[in-house]
Amino acid sequence: MNRRRFLKRLLEITPGGLSWGIIILLILLAFFHPVSCAIIIISFDFYWIIRTVYLTILLVMAHQRLFQQEKEDWLKRCQSLPVISGFTQLYQLVIFPVYNEGPEVLRPSLEALAASHYPLDKLIVVVAFEAREGSAHQKAMLLEKEFKGRFGAYLSTFHPDGLAGECRTKGANATWAAKAAKKFLDAREVAYEQVLVSCFDADTCVDQEYFGCLSYHFLTSEKRHQASYQPMPVYNNNIWQAPFFARLVEISSTFCQMIESMRLEKFVTFSSHSMSFKTLVEIDYWPTNMISDDSVIYWKSYLYYNGDYRVIPLYVTVSLDVAYSSNIWRTIVVQYKQKRRWAWGVENFPFAVEGFIKNRHIPLFHKIRRSFHLLESHVTWAVWAVILVIIGPLPVVFGGNFFSHTAIAYSLPKVTGVLFKFTLLTSLTWIFLSWTILPPRPKGIGWWKHISLVVEWVFVPFIILVIGSTPALDAQTRLMLAKYMEFNSTLKGNKVL
Amino acid sequence: MFTFQKIRSCLFYLSVLLFFSGLPLILGYALGYKFNPQSFKFIKTGLIFVKTQPSGAQIYLNGSLLAEKSPAGILELLPGSYQVSLELDRHYPWKDQVEVEAGKATRIDKVILFARQPHLTQFNRVEFSAFRVDPEKKMIYYLDQDKKLVYRSNADAGNFEDIASLPDRFNQINGWEVSPDKAKLFIYNHRQISVVYFDTQNDYEYSGSAVLIDYPQARVLNVFWHSDSYHLVVLTEKAVQVVESRPLAQPVNLVELNKAGSDAFYDIQEDVLYFSDTARNPERSFRNNLYRLELSANPDLLERLIAQPFVQGSPALEEAPDE
Repeated sequence: MNRRRFLKRLLEITPGGLSWGIIILLILLAFFHPVSCAIIIISFDFYWIIRTVYLTILLVMAHQRLFQQEKEDWLKRCQSLPVISGFTQLYQLVIFPVYNEGPEVLRPSLEALAASHYPLDKLIVVVAFEAREGSAHQKAMLLEKEFKGRFGAYLSTFHPDGLAGECRTKGANATWAAKAAKKFLDAREVAYEQVLVSCFDADTCVDQEYFGCLSYHFLTSEKRHQASYQPMPVYNNNIWQAPFFARLVEISSTFCQMIESMRLEKFVTFSSHSMSFKTLVEIDYWPTNMISDDSVIYWKSYLYYNGDYRVIPLYVTVSLDVAYSSNIWRTIVVQYKQKRRWAWGVENFPFAVEGFIKNRHIPLFHKIRRSFHLLESHVTWAVWAVILVIIGPLPVVFGGNFFSHTAIAYSLPKVTGVLFKFTLLTSLTWIFLSWTILPPRPKGIGWWKHISLVVEWVFVPFIILVIGSTPALDAQTRLMLAKYMEFNSTLKGNKVL
Repeated sequence: MFTFQKIRSCLFYLSVLLFFSGLPLILGYALGYKFNPQSFKFIKTGLIFVKTQPSGAQIYLNGSLLAEKSPAGILELLPGSYQVSLELDRHYPWKDQVEVEAGKATRIDKVILFARQPHLTQFNRVEFSAFRVDPEKKMIYYLDQDKKLVYRSNADAGNFEDIASLPDRFNQINGWEVSPDKAKLFIYNHRQISVVYFDTQNDYEYSGSAVLIDYPQARVLNVFWHSDSYHLVVLTEKAVQVVESRPLAQPVNLVELNKAGSDAFYDIQEDVLYFSDTARNPERSFRNNLYRLELSANPDLLERLIAQPFVQGSPALEEAPDE
C-alpha cells in the first residue's frame, strides 16, 4: 500500500472508527464503571438539549426569513438592477439527471420550470438520461414532444455507460450533460460567466420565484462566481399522501437544511443547488466517481478557490417527492436507504482532508476548523441516537448493586427526565413550523388529516430509534471497511400538484 | 443576513456559556453535592430512596413529616444516621434507623406495609379436613375424610361442587394429591394407594370406580404423580417404585433402598426424584447419600435406572454407593 492510499484509508476509517469507539467505550463503561458512564450520559444529554434549543432558535430564524421573502417579486428586483449588472444577458442552465424516473416524475418538474416567473427564453433545460436505461430514448422523445419550444432551449443527453474513471453515479451523468451544454453554449458564443447552472433531482419542482431569487443573489453578491446557491428543499410534492413515517423524516430533513442555512461557516450544498457555469467548468464539473456529488462539488470549489468559496442560502423553496413505498415496512427500508445515501456524504471527509493536505494556500486554522466540522457532524449523526436511546439506560440496567446504591444512579433518570422535558418545548415549535410549511390540502384529503399531522409527532422517538443514527453508522462502517456504496435512485412516490 | 449572523453568534456563545456553567451544577446535583450558603462550600450529601407496598405511605424523617409520599427519594441529606418511619392508614407502620453516606443512595425498597385488618374471605361451604391449591391457582380442592367426599371450587370460591367419593374401605389418609391433568387424585396410607377419578371426566378408561393398590409387604412412605398423570412414583420403606394408576397394576422396583424412612422430593417439571439413602463406603462404614433419579418418559420408564451420587462437599461422598 503506497503512502497516498494509506492516508486515504486512514481518513476513511477515522469517522467510523471514532463513532464505534465512542459507542463501544460507553457500553464498556456502563458495565465496568457505570458512574463514569452516567456522568458522560448526563453531560451528553445536557449538551444535546442546549444544542436542540439553539438549533430550534436558528430554525425559527430561518423560517422567518423564508416567510419574509415568500412574497418577494424577485424578477422585478432583478429588472430594477442597473444594466451593468448583466441581468439581461443572464442564462439559466437547468440539468435534470435522470435514471429510472419516468415521465410522470419529470413532467411536473418541467411544468414547474415552465410556470416560472422568469423569462423562459433564458432557460436552457437539459434532461440527462443514462444510455444504459433501455427506455431512455423513448422517454426523451415523449418529453421533447411536450416541452421542446417552451424554453429557450431544450436538450436531451444520453450518458454512455462504463466511461473510463467513472462510476455509475448521478454526478457522472450530470457532468456529461454539462459538457453537452458547454458545446451548445460555445456554438452560440454565450460566455460562461453569463450562465448559472442548476442541477436538480428529477422530482424537483421549483418555486415560481426561484430563478428570479437566484439571479438577484448572484448579480448582487461579491465574488459571485465563488459561491454556490442553495434553495430550501421541501418535500411537498406528495406530503399529504405520504405515510406518517416518511413525512416526519422528510420534514425533519427540511428543517435540518433550514438550520444549516443559518450556519454559513458550515453550510454545504445539498441535493438541488445552483452555481456559476464558469466555476463549474473551471473546477472540472461534478465528481464522476463519488455518490455525494451534491456536496463534493462544494469541496472541489472550496479547494479550487483556496478556501474563498461559500454557499449562499436562497430562502425560496424547491419541492421534492417524499420517498415512500406501498407499506410502512417498505417505506422504512426506502427511507433508511435514502438516509444512508445521504450519510455516505462522510466520503467528503477523506476528500476534503486530502485536499487540505495538498493545498498550501488555505490557512491552517480554516483547514482544522472545516475538517473538525465535517468529522464532528458525521460522528454526532452516527452516535447521538445510540447514546440517548440505547446507552442512556445501560448504567441503571447493568450497573449492579454497587451502582444502584450511588446517588447518581437515582439522579440519572431524574436529571435526564427533567432535561428532556425541555425538548418538549422545542418539539412543539417544530410541530407548529411543520404545519406552516405544508402546501394547501389537496382535494380528497379530509380535514382530520391536519389533526393526524400533529398527533403523528408522538412517533418521533420510534423514528429516532429506527433511522436516527443507524444509517450514518451503516455508511461509516461501509467506508471504514472499504465496502463502497453504489448509487441507487430513491423510490419516489406519486406526485400530487 | 448580517444581523441574523450576529444574533446567531450571540446565541452560540450563550449556549457555550450555558453548557460550561450549567454542567458542573447538574453533575454536582447528580453526584449529590449541595451548596452550603453559610460555609460557602459544596458538601457531598447522600439520599434515602423509599419504596413501599402499597405505595402512598407518609414518610417521617427524624419525626418530621415530609411532603413526599412513597415511592420517593429524600435528597441532599448530610451523612449520618436518620430515623425513618413509614405510615399508611389502616396498615402497620414501619420504622428503622438508617445510615446515609456521602454520594450514596440508601435504599429502603423492600418494605411491605401489612394491613391491620386483613381482607379475609371464606372459601369453603362445607366442612373439610384438607385442601390443595393447584399450581396454576385456578382451582381449590377440598377433602372431607369423614364424609369421604372431594369438593372443588375456583380461585374466587365460586363454582363450589362435589366431584368425587372416596372408597369406603379406605380409612386413614396419610397424604393425597390431585393429578397434573386435574382429572383424578390419589390418596394413600401405609398399606394402600387409591386413585379416585373425578365425576366430571368421562374419557378415562377407569373412571367411575376407584383404583385400589394394596401394599401388604412394605409400608408406603410417600407418593407422587408422574407428569403424565398416569404413573405414580411410590417411595416405600424398601424401594422406589413406579405403578400405573389402574386396577391390578403391578409396581416396578426402580431402586432398592438400604434405609427405611428416606426423605424424598419429586420435581414434576423434570420428572426427577431426589431421595436420600444410606450406602456403605470403601471403609465399610455407612453414610447418608442424596440421589437423583430421572423418570422422564425417555429413556423407558420401566428400565431400571442407575442412581447417580449427589456431590455434597466431602470427598468421600463423591464415590458411588455400593450396590
